[in-house]
Amino acid sequence: MKKRLSDIFCVFQIHLARLRREAGPFLLTAIVFPIGMYLFASGIAHQNPSEAITNDAKLHFLAASIVFSLSLTAISWLGYLLLENRFTGRLKLFATLPLAPSSYVFGVLIFAVLQGTLGTVSMLAASRVLGVQTQIDGVFGVLLLALVVFIALLSLCGVSVIIAALARSFSEGSLYTDALGAGLVLLAPVYYSAETLPVIMRPLGYVLPTTYIAGAVNKILAGDLFVGEELSILTLMAAATLACGFRVMNWRED
Amino acid sequence: MDHGSENKLAVRVSQLFKSYKNGTEATRGIDCSVRPGEAVAILGPNGAGKTTFLRQLTTELKPSSGSVEIFGIDAIKDATRAKLLMGVTPQEAGVFETLTVREHLEFFGKIKGLEKHSARMQTNEILESLELDIEAKRKIGELSGGQRRRILIGLALLGKPPLLILDEPTTGLDPVSRRAVWTLLKKVIALGTTVILSTHYMEEAEYLSSRIAFINAGKIIVDGNLTELRSCFPNKYRVNYLNGGGEIGTPHVEFFKDFSSAQQFISERKIAEYQLATASLEDVYFSLVGERLSERDGTRAK
Repeated sequence: MKKRLSDIFCVFQIHLARLRREAGPFLLTAIVFPIGMYLFASGIAHQNPSEAITNDAKLHFLAASIVFSLSLTAISWLGYLLLENRFTGRLKLFATLPLAPSSYVFGVLIFAVLQGTLGTVSMLAASRVLGVQTQIDGVFGVLLLALVVFIALLSLCGVSVIIAALARSFSEGSLYTDALGAGLVLLAPVYYSAETLPVIMRPLGYVLPTTYIAGAVNKILAGDLFVGEELSILTLMAAATLACGFRVMNWRED
Repeated sequence: MDHGSENKLAVRVSQLFKSYKNGTEATRGIDCSVRPGEAVAILGPNGAGKTTFLRQLTTELKPSSGSVEIFGIDAIKDATRAKLLMGVTPQEAGVFETLTVREHLEFFGKIKGLEKHSARMQTNEILESLELDIEAKRKIGELSGGQRRRILIGLALLGKPPLLILDEPTTGLDPVSRRAVWTLLKKVIALGTTVILSTHYMEEAEYLSSRIAFINAGKIIVDGNLTELRSCFPNKYRVNYLNGGGEIGTPHVEFFKDFSSAQQFISERKIAEYQLATASLEDVYFSLVGERLSERDGTRAK
């Protein structure tokens, strides 16, 4: 057990060193793009200059932008990193060590959770500059938000692991991670309501984790702590994507 | 590290087969045993199955059938435990370019089970041995290909594993770096470490190994020490000379079963400039893997 924990921590530290030295792209992915999306969505919603945009609308866009940050971090950024490990031979190097594949995945997941948390905290800090009044209900609200972000990241990271394991080439995999990092947010009712989607596309919203992440984050930011339904669905999705990811992630070639 | 009793083989491979999904049979029934402390070089042409064989030993590649035991541990069923006893340098592997040389070695030392202090100590030793100590604080991304290759060798040595599996460890190294690696490996072998390495350099095989195995078409075709291998080659002597004489003469090689035939050949042809020597490992190699020297440089055996 001690060895397992030490291995996970080493894998985490190896990837953390990369984050320390490549902070620029991370800031772009986790903070700059999502803030840009917030401003874009607010600008589109605020068509009539004589009417001020409501705080509810601002909270909605902030929640959506936090989801965008999580999705870009956990799918596009992490997926790229996993693909790079696989296709540049680093995974092969790990495979030569007495390291269980699950330790590698857990180390990477902890790294992703750290990134996601940094992104979310930065977005919340930026919300003050953007004039959004969040109404998180005390310490419990903060803890609940942390739990939702954690489960959300796991469900999204599972998608990254699956893509990184199944991609036939680096370019194919990175196209998938880029497309899904943004696509899972833009195709789900995250920035807009489900009713605005064409009827044929509405069922898609029910199967995408981003729908439930946005719902839960929006509620918590507005002071509503009843997110049990979203949390349950996200937990199931995280279990499913991670189980699938672990199953296909195998560094012993057949 | 306790790695079993004295009489246990370091490596025991039995009937190892590997067929890829596209139908290629990369290894076709390899049987091989390596005693603790032996240094075995694997030679063979490109595509002979050397890397596939080594990747199956390192547990990276699952065999289609057969068994692999590392110090008595079933490496197919219990890969993680077997890997605790191995240091591996793959033929192609990436390094973490954003880490410094020291960080890379220390992190990997910890994954190999070393305590923080031991990981640091061994990192210092390895950096010095591989002449990388002045690069310790540099990011790996800033290093040359040869330096990265040496880091991969250093990673294999971390934890002082009783078995080293090195797939073309000195490919891409300049002669000075290669010598440094050889010296280090010689020391490691002298300390009783079992080494299995594949190489295309005959000189490397002769210098480092006590046993040489030739692989061709997925099978070990000959396995023995240098004297045993030379005995497989009927032509014991080679004469290198310039045909036509002068500076523009064409270089030729002739092989002879005995010394007197070689001398007779030289005197009959009145060859002024020649080199008479015993057949080299390379000659044995060409003879065994079926490549005809005559096709390469116009030679024939007498």
